[in-house]
Amino acid sequence: MTTTSLTTTTTPGRTAGAAGRSRRHGTHLNGLPWILPAFVFVVGLIYYSVFYTGYISTLDWDGLAPTAKAVGLGNFTKMFADPVFWAALRHTAVFYVVTFTVQTALGFVLAAIMHSRVRLAMLHKVVIFIPTVLAPATMAPVFRLIYADDGMANWILRHVGLGSLAHPWLADGNTALPALMLITVWQWTGLTFILYYAAMSQIEPELLEAARLDRAGNLRTLWYIVWPGCRGTTVSLAMLGFIGALKTFDIPYLVTTGGPYHSTEFLGTYIYRMGIRQAHIGYAAAISIVLLVLAVAGALIIGRANRKGASA
Amino acid sequence: MFEVRRRSSRVILQLVLFVLTVPFLLPLVQMVIGALGGIGWRNFVVVWDTGVIPTFFRNSAILAAAVIAIVYVLSMTASFGFSKLRIFGKEVYFWLMLAALTLPEVILLSPLFVTATQLHLYNTLTAVVLPLAALQLPFAILLTRNYFDGIPTELIDAGRIDGASVVQTFWHIVLPLTKPIASAVVVLTLINSWNSYLLPLVFLQDRSKQVVTLLPQFFVGEYTNDQTKILAAAVLTAIPTVLAYVLMQKNFERGLSAGALK
Repeated sequence: MTTTSLTTTTTPGRTAGAAGRSRRHGTHLNGLPWILPAFVFVVGLIYYSVFYTGYISTLDWDGLAPTAKAVGLGNFTKMFADPVFWAALRHTAVFYVVTFTVQTALGFVLAAIMHSRVRLAMLHKVVIFIPTVLAPATMAPVFRLIYADDGMANWILRHVGLGSLAHPWLADGNTALPALMLITVWQWTGLTFILYYAAMSQIEPELLEAARLDRAGNLRTLWYIVWPGCRGTTVSLAMLGFIGALKTFDIPYLVTTGGPYHSTEFLGTYIYRMGIRQAHIGYAAAISIVLLVLAVAGALIIGRANRKGASA
Repeated sequence: MFEVRRRSSRVILQLVLFVLTVPFLLPLVQMVIGALGGIGWRNFVVVWDTGVIPTFFRNSAILAAAVIAIVYVLSMTASFGFSKLRIFGKEVYFWLMLAALTLPEVILLSPLFVTATQLHLYNTLTAVVLPLAALQLPFAILLTRNYFDGIPTELIDAGRIDGASVVQTFWHIVLPLTKPIASAVVVLTLINSWNSYLLPLVFLQDRSKQVVTLLPQFFVGEYTNDQTKILAAAVLTAIPTVLAYVLMQKNFERGLSAGALK
């Protein structure tokens, strides 16, 4: 009879006593106990850590000594004068732009092809997606081998007549970063592909039919109908790629250890190097704060762009 | 998406697909060829005989199971609360949690390191399980809350009218309806914890506590220049993940893509 929704408030008490009281406030008076465990756990652990990081960033400390020297904003001044810090930022930016662009293009094209009645689509899908489920840490030794002087990369180059390009990719400061980007593209294109594949199934066939009737070619249809139709997916991937770039650690740490000469240093590897390896935990915390600000700012900007685009 | 009528263009499309797909296979080919180099398949025997592999696998399994258990229980109950119950200031709680969504784990490194040392949690799986679960929860809750929102409130009301308590309603009516999203959450959490590297690297020094992502390094330490052993270990580590994926393809794809979409 009167109980229409758990979340509406107007349910006159039909039973007496405590039950009646609770019904007046929605069927269940208080949902707080249901969210409290998760809330306390997440907010407790993560906010505690974030504020603690903020505090540590004002210290000159190795993380173990009972006393730490307060240095105020000293770590930050040092950081802004640190060329490696700026290099790490630059690498992250380049890494993001390149890997996002390549993955998007590749994933989009692959998804479009798979939607075109090709043979063995399932097999291709599995091959493209498998890298996504493999741990970067497991694949790192494989890629060290591939990029070695006598590795697979150079072997292929020599066999297709590009032998002059062959060299130890990871030992050269100019090619180490692109080599790492290629690993990332290899690993994550499968996800981009699956998402575009799903998004393309949502595009109304009538739209495609109409384009065909207007004699739009395949490429025009793809560009003017399918690509805009996948906009939401592209924005999600932009966000995911941005956060992923900021998180980058496993691959550079394991494949090049940030070298040669910091040419593949990322914020993550630098924080680890400074904080854990060299025990400058205050300095590492200061870099962490910058990373935190970038992550939150980036998420807000992309989120806002998304909302603006959706309402336009 | 492409409309291909002519036979020649169909062949070209198939060829393009093949050429684009092969590079994805090459690293796997390299991994297997490398693992079979030198003394061939006996590399696997040597690697297995070190006796550490079952330990690393067991630790990874415990780690993943613990993280999944925490994430599953807390995300299901919290999403039910957020979606179907009255809570004063609900959205504030929600956004405070979601703010943690974008945080790279490396930010937590310094404070966790200090805290774990002080609490004598260093070198325990707990030191890895707790932050991993806390980092995965916000996203799991975002996913499951959206899903719960799609469950008609009338269904729950019906249970209430029949006199079921909140807990009974949750248990008998809501939970059975959440299987699809639950399997997505479980798979996503499984992959993220099984493949996690940074937190185990920092917190697990003792070999009897280490997890599969640290295996390559263990073998680098054991056989400095023998790549074949390291790759054999890599193959052994990769097999369960690949098998799990091939067997539960749909779940994996749904879980991982749910991880990217809101």
